[in-house]
Amino acid sequence: MLPRKRVSEGLAVGDDDDNNSAGSSLPKKYRIGCFGSGPANSDIEEDSGFQVAETNSTGNCKSDLRTMAMGDSSSADIDEDLHSRQLAVYGRETMKRLFASNVLISGMQGLGAEIAKNLVLAGVKSVTLHDEGMVELWDLSSNFIFSENDVGKNRAVASVQKLQELNNSVVISTITTKLTKEQLSDFQAVVFTDISLEKAVEFNDYCHHHRPPISFIKAEVRGLFGSVFCDFGPEFIVADVDGEDPHTGIIASIANDNPALVSCVDDERLEFQDGDFVVFSEVKGMIELNDGKPRKIKSARPYSFILEEDTSNFGIYDRGGIVTQVKQSKVLNFKPLREALKDPGDFLLSDFSKFDRPPLLHLAFQALDKFVAELGRYPAPASEDDAQKLISIASNINETLGDGKLEDLNPKLLRYFAFGSRAVLNPMAAMFGGIVGQEVVKACSGKFHPLFQFFYFDSMESLPVEPLDSGEFKPINSRYDAQISVFGATLQKKMANANVFIVGSGALGCEFLKNVALMGVACGDQGKLTVTDDDVIEKSNLSRQFLFRDWNIGQAKSTVAASAAKSINPHLKVEALQNRVGSETENVFDDTFWENLNVVINALDNVNARLYVDQRCLYFQKPLLESGTLGAKCNTQMVIPHLTENYGASRDPPEKQAPMCTVHSFPHNIDHCLTWARSEFEGLLEKTPAEVNAFLSNPGEYCNAMRNAGDAQARDTLERVLECLDMERCLTFEDCITWARLKFEDYFANRVKQLIYTFPEDAPTSTGAPFWSAPKRFPHPLQFSTSDPGHLHYLMAASILLAETFGIPIPDWVKSADRLAEATDKVIVPDFQPKKNVKIVTDEKATSISTASVDDAAVINELIKMLELCHSNLPPNFKMKPIQFEKDDDTNYHMDMIAGLANMRARNYSIPEVDKLKAKFIAGRIIPAIATSTAMATGLVCLELYKVLAGGHKLEDYRNTFANLALPLFSMAEPVPPKVIKHDDMSWTVWDRWIVKDNPTLRELLQWLKDKGLNAYSISCGSSLLYNSMFPRHKDRMDRKLVDLARDVAKLELPPYRHHFDVIVACEDDDDNDIDIPQVSIYFK
Amino acid sequence: MSSPSKRREMDLMKLMLSDYKVEMINDGMQEFYVEFHGPKESPYQGGLWRIRVELPDAYPYKSPSIGFVNKIYHPNVDEMSGSVCLDVINQTWSPMFDLVNVFEVFLPQLLLYPNPSDPLNGEAAALMMRDKTAYEQRVKEYCEKYAKPEDVGAAEEGKSTDEEELSEDDYASSDEEVVGKADP
Repeated sequence: MLPRKRVSEGLAVGDDDDNNSAGSSLPKKYRIGCFGSGPANSDIEEDSGFQVAETNSTGNCKSDLRTMAMGDSSSADIDEDLHSRQLAVYGRETMKRLFASNVLISGMQGLGAEIAKNLVLAGVKSVTLHDEGMVELWDLSSNFIFSENDVGKNRAVASVQKLQELNNSVVISTITTKLTKEQLSDFQAVVFTDISLEKAVEFNDYCHHHRPPISFIKAEVRGLFGSVFCDFGPEFIVADVDGEDPHTGIIASIANDNPALVSCVDDERLEFQDGDFVVFSEVKGMIELNDGKPRKIKSARPYSFILEEDTSNFGIYDRGGIVTQVKQSKVLNFKPLREALKDPGDFLLSDFSKFDRPPLLHLAFQALDKFVAELGRYPAPASEDDAQKLISIASNINETLGDGKLEDLNPKLLRYFAFGSRAVLNPMAAMFGGIVGQEVVKACSGKFHPLFQFFYFDSMESLPVEPLDSGEFKPINSRYDAQISVFGATLQKKMANANVFIVGSGALGCEFLKNVALMGVACGDQGKLTVTDDDVIEKSNLSRQFLFRDWNIGQAKSTVAASAAKSINPHLKVEALQNRVGSETENVFDDTFWENLNVVINALDNVNARLYVDQRCLYFQKPLLESGTLGAKCNTQMVIPHLTENYGASRDPPEKQAPMCTVHSFPHNIDHCLTWARSEFEGLLEKTPAEVNAFLSNPGEYCNAMRNAGDAQARDTLERVLECLDMERCLTFEDCITWARLKFEDYFANRVKQLIYTFPEDAPTSTGAPFWSAPKRFPHPLQFSTSDPGHLHYLMAASILLAETFGIPIPDWVKSADRLAEATDKVIVPDFQPKKNVKIVTDEKATSISTASVDDAAVINELIKMLELCHSNLPPNFKMKPIQFEKDDDTNYHMDMIAGLANMRARNYSIPEVDKLKAKFIAGRIIPAIATSTAMATGLVCLELYKVLAGGHKLEDYRNTFANLALPLFSMAEPVPPKVIKHDDMSWTVWDRWIVKDNPTLRELLQWLKDKGLNAYSISCGSSLLYNSMFPRHKDRMDRKLVDLARDVAKLELPPYRHHFDVIVACEDDDDNDIDIPQVSIYFK
Repeated sequence: MSSPSKRREMDLMKLMLSDYKVEMINDGMQEFYVEFHGPKESPYQGGLWRIRVELPDAYPYKSPSIGFVNKIYHPNVDEMSGSVCLDVINQTWSPMFDLVNVFEVFLPQLLLYPNPSDPLNGEAAALMMRDKTAYEQRVKEYCEKYAKPEDVGAAEEGKSTDEEELSEDDYASSDEEVVGKADP
């Protein structure tokens, strides 16, 4: 379950990305300000045609603070609004290389279209489409670009316009005539999806020996079979083999030894592996290690490793030090196709239950090529003669293989291979389009490990279980003919009349809608597809949610996606809703809605919504096809009633949060600083103003509530409200600057001074060990200076945002560094005096309870008096404007403020600072996302959809997948069956439910269970207890109807059409063993 | 392991069976209060705290959140909010632990062995490291002032107006010692 739950409030249904605020329905504003200071690589920028973000021509660039400081040289070359999610995967360098790459895609059937889509979205410099053939009706089974009207047009030409809409900055051109190998020299990478082996060998030889080599990819999908071959040249350098950040560790000790043992703090497990290279920094004592030289490690353990270095004569380790992995590049020696065909090396395996398939498929694809070469056509669907012919070609080739000869040719498999070989199926095209698209990105950028060199795959299990009559496969002159030639007309009809629910229409949702439209799911008279999403389209969606265009920004995702899917296939019976799926919309998605569904497809971006849909599917016994992506990784999970466990049955451990004390006072990485910055941002700009408004809207009631609470928290809140309205209340923008300046002093000077006063650098702990030992870092106060751009940038953001909360207009001069500095220098900053009561322990008075613990109630009363006084001095109708954090608007100063706070704090603790983009990724919890892995996930799911809609498949026919395109890794496995629970002669799984009729009382239910040998001790409904045997008070409920208890205690609302409700019962058997019984449905009508 | 939905019920049950006084609000199982006695042989002995327990949606996969309602002077407890910075609760929680562990082991351990190296209350930590006697003295003063049975009960009065079924007093009304049995 890759996709992580977001911190953001609400948002149950969304897309695959992370626009957090449910309330932000506004289209993205374009940036204002200037983009002057882009770093290197300006040479690429000239001719690569990428989008340059809108700039405000009136801005006076020289003194614009938006471009200064913060390491935020927000490069003029990458449109970060558009590509933020992809940038989070690839980084700037890779994106720049992509922006400079020219790619050829030859063969524009379904697979070619998918690859082209993924590359255009990614933003390569140019894509050239080559196809000599005409669009046929047959192509419409898998190609989302073509419509019936395109039949007869050249495939490449017919593709240009729709691909161009996906990304204007990519140059798209066509070649419609026969390719010559010399033409290939125009490209960094070439992809062939429909080419004879002979031609492929010829072209590949040219590419392999070209200087510099041209990356060559040959990919094919034939029915339920697919293959990829990659050759990126004789010496291809992989700059980053896995895309993971370098691992780091905080050192606790280093031995003087050969080799030397290095121990790290047991704060976090080390992720190093034997053979990794590492560098050291900040080591005290053994300073020789700080030389930046990469050193090799071995015996990597969770908290230690051995360093291959003789440290015997080095200085003695004192303290401190950080160890960081050095990512090594890797050189791959690809073989040309000519050689690799005979000597394919290791195949990339995707499914351990099919470990012997790749060599067989290697042979089968060669046999198919030979068949086509000899007969000038593909084997006909369901033609036994053609199948036999193919099998005999295959066995002839096999005979020539000598040592590599296969023992079993598996004629049954070859027969199906022949039957479907002419068809390009949409799910296969989607899956391979993702894989191949990623390989092209690798070829162009050196990011991630290429596929080395052959990959074969089949999804034979997707075929219907019952053998079909040969008449089933006959073309009926429909757009589904290709699909019918593989699966037969019966399944096509079932698919057409299916009732399907797609939950979410973000990145996954768009791909799913395209897939089901092409497959003809819910395209029949009885068919129905419901898609729902409560989100609207934002610019950052456009880099992979390919049914959306810039003119759709601000519109509802589901509506736009549904109408785009309908234009792919006008027969699609789709209804678009904007409801989030959750307990609050059970009137929309009611019992009848669920009962009528055939299958549910999740396209969600958060775990909570997934768990909710899972529970509903469990309850209504509906198959749920689940998937998710995280960067280059994706996973799919099939939840099939009674066959598999449900989604919620297994879970990832929750995300690790930094301990409060670390964030509070002892940060040791930038994440800690950003967590702190975000919480300060919320406190200062959202919570306090909101609290002030709460007070102002009803002072009497507010103060009473505080008096009643009477605790330290109430006191603290009142203090903040008073401070905000009294001391800190701003009337002019200059006041805001003063506030920001004093906050700086408080956060980055005074608090640090206080902390190091309380805990001096040499302070020992009770055990005598130094207090400031790893992972704690000793902080230093900052000296404010208007000549420090970082300081000034923070100051600007903070004063602007505070002015916003007070409704003070923001003067233009704030963006002028000089004017701002001038205003800041006028602020009088009082000297710092440490609080001494903790230090002077000999003083009698200090050890007694100090002012801090004066009676809270008395203080609260005092505060309220002051507050009331203060209130009378406020102008009438005074209100503040709380600010809600919104990360995706680059003009709102939110991220400037947070990055500023975090970086200043990082400076306090000598932690490396981050630029605004990186800060946004971390603080905004941006989930990295790219088009390729999304497309692949949906392809894999749709291969399962064939099984679900055909019905009758066994558990072993289904597949769950985990894949990481970066490695690449494909791991497919049978789903896990549900856990079976036994009690006496009964057994059940999570899919079962017990039904108790006739409106029972509590006593009757207990007796009903008792008769089964079960002693219930606790009964709950929702999150409320209806009965617990420990509470004598609950005994009074014995003779009440359960439905009344549910209404009264659990406040359950039962609509008139509802005849039952469910309770959860915890019970034991007669030997006091807990028995996990199914949910119990109580029927009360 | 039992299904997650039942874990709340089982854990709550076990807690009550271990003689903890549990106080629920309107029979809800998301949030409740538990009384906790300072462990013997610690300066917190004799103190009584109301502990607010919140079970997150993802319980038991995610740890319960624990806070002291009445004040305590402790290096790892935030004086203002009562939040606990306790490694085993916030960091190394596993679904194998339950609420009884929290009250029988984790909290007593925290009070018996504060960890001043990772303080949330820096003042308390500094004092503990520099002058253990003064620190213990301060702890006792706080107990005396804030952690008496009245303090635990008194806090209810102000709030109970709208919480009709606030206290489950009829159960476990015996005020016998329910000191957490920490094994040091």
